[in-house]
Amino acid sequence: MLNTARWIVFTVAALAMNFPVIVTLVTSLKSAKELSINPGLWVGQPTFENYLRVLTQTDRFNIYSYLLNSTIASLIGTSLAIILAFPAAYAIARSDAGKRTLLPIVINLRAVPLIIFAIPLYMMYQWLGLLDTQLGLGFILTIVNTPLALVIMVNAISDVPLELDEAAKVDGASSRQVMIMIIRPVVRPALVTTFIFGFITAWNEFLFGLMLTTSRAVPMTVGASFFFAASGGGVQWGTASAVMMLGALPPAVLGLVMYRQISGSMTAGAVKG
Amino acid sequence: MAIVNRAEGRAYLTPLVAFLLLFLGFPSIVNLIYSVSTVSFENLRSPNLSGFGNYVSVLADREFWQAISFSMRFGILTALAECLIGLFLAIFLAPLLAKRSFLMAPLMLPLMVAPAMIGLMYRLVLHEFAGPVPYYLFLWFGDSPAFLDINNAFRTLVVVETLQWTPFAFLLFYMAYVAIPLDVREAAALDGAPWFKILWWIELPLMLPTLVMAFFIRFIDGFRVFDNVYALTGSGAGGSTTSLSIYIYQAFFKGGAIGKAVAASVMLFVASLAVLYGLNWLAGRRRT
Repeated sequence: MLNTARWIVFTVAALAMNFPVIVTLVTSLKSAKELSINPGLWVGQPTFENYLRVLTQTDRFNIYSYLLNSTIASLIGTSLAIILAFPAAYAIARSDAGKRTLLPIVINLRAVPLIIFAIPLYMMYQWLGLLDTQLGLGFILTIVNTPLALVIMVNAISDVPLELDEAAKVDGASSRQVMIMIIRPVVRPALVTTFIFGFITAWNEFLFGLMLTTSRAVPMTVGASFFFAASGGGVQWGTASAVMMLGALPPAVLGLVMYRQISGSMTAGAVKG
Repeated sequence: MAIVNRAEGRAYLTPLVAFLLLFLGFPSIVNLIYSVSTVSFENLRSPNLSGFGNYVSVLADREFWQAISFSMRFGILTALAECLIGLFLAIFLAPLLAKRSFLMAPLMLPLMVAPAMIGLMYRLVLHEFAGPVPYYLFLWFGDSPAFLDINNAFRTLVVVETLQWTPFAFLLFYMAYVAIPLDVREAAALDGAPWFKILWWIELPLMLPTLVMAFFIRFIDGFRVFDNVYALTGSGAGGSTTSLSIYIYQAFFKGGAIGKAVAASVMLFVASLAVLYGLNWLAGRRRT
């Protein structure tokens, strides 16, 4: 009896929380004719014509370019965050450096509204010629990803037994060699988690994509809104739905494949933050 | 034996520190200077220092206070709702999830979708002709409210935000709940304590740190909300959905009021530092 209630609650919660995604998926499978007469939650004759149109008619809005921009900027933003944070995490876990000031500052960054920095960054980008570039967006995404990357890696490295480092040192390894040849392979799972989580976060970022890009480097989240704004007479719901599904797919697939690891890292960031 | 000596440690920190100084330190200084300058797009590189006029004009701006009020109410309401629903789901569904962890996946899916994308999706969901919600409300009840007009926009946005981020609170609480040692519960059950007493006197106190942390994380994220609100209503519905982040964005990009936008940023910065300082102080006190 109680178990039935649990299943009902689970089903209602899962449907309610995923409702916008379900509606968008259903709508993306409707033909233009069906869209005009049936706004309901079923599809009479499912069709892929919306997806086909989005993927083939790229003269006005090029979805490939949005997907590519998001991919490149997210890869930069995730890799760079790991490259910068890994040695720092090693130093914090294995020495006194950075424990008192850098670590708390970076952790608290997670809670600072980044829009505070948006205006000077916009001007700085104008001077540096980074406006509307994938690299420029990638730098910002690095900032967004750094707090969690640092926390996850400090935790992971702290969990590695010190004896491992010491043994390598006795054998004559420098601390740099220990970091790269001993620690890096041991904490690989944490690096993978950081990468996946960072990639999802970066892909889903919107504010800086909106402010810092206009045409060449527009990411998927911003590009999707173009399909709503610029269609003059009214939104082409079939097209817009297909675009949203395609744009939401990469992080969703990554997240669903890796949800166990991600739930762990989310709690890590939250508890230490 | 120290694995990493002091000099090496500093060297390992340097790239990250340099990057943060360039992308956050430098902008902070620019913020401070611009906030006390008369500045426009024409004299970006040589702003005229002019005192605290920008702060005065922000503080005198009714829309600024409306934005603060929106962000405050939005942050508190969504954080409360997310934590309450999340806590209920975590505890009520725990027996179900313990045996079938794959059920976590659909509950976590909303966290993987961009908030901006969710905002756009709700434009479809709530659209008066194309959206299923108004469609079914008309079908079943013969009437449907205008979800995004000035009277309802705030409530709609609270629901949208809550539905997307309840999974976050749920996830934290579920982790904390299953981490409670089994023997603690069994001891209480052996003493004949009913489940609600175990919950109230044993489990909830053990989860309290997580509850507080989740509330504050969700409050901060709700307070600075931008993506889904902007994608769904913009500052629309008569300006009734202008969050503080949207206020700053609009002042800069639409109004060209750089000084004002920057002054508002600095105040938001100081406010968030104050909140963080208070939080850290609380956390420090708990430990001792």
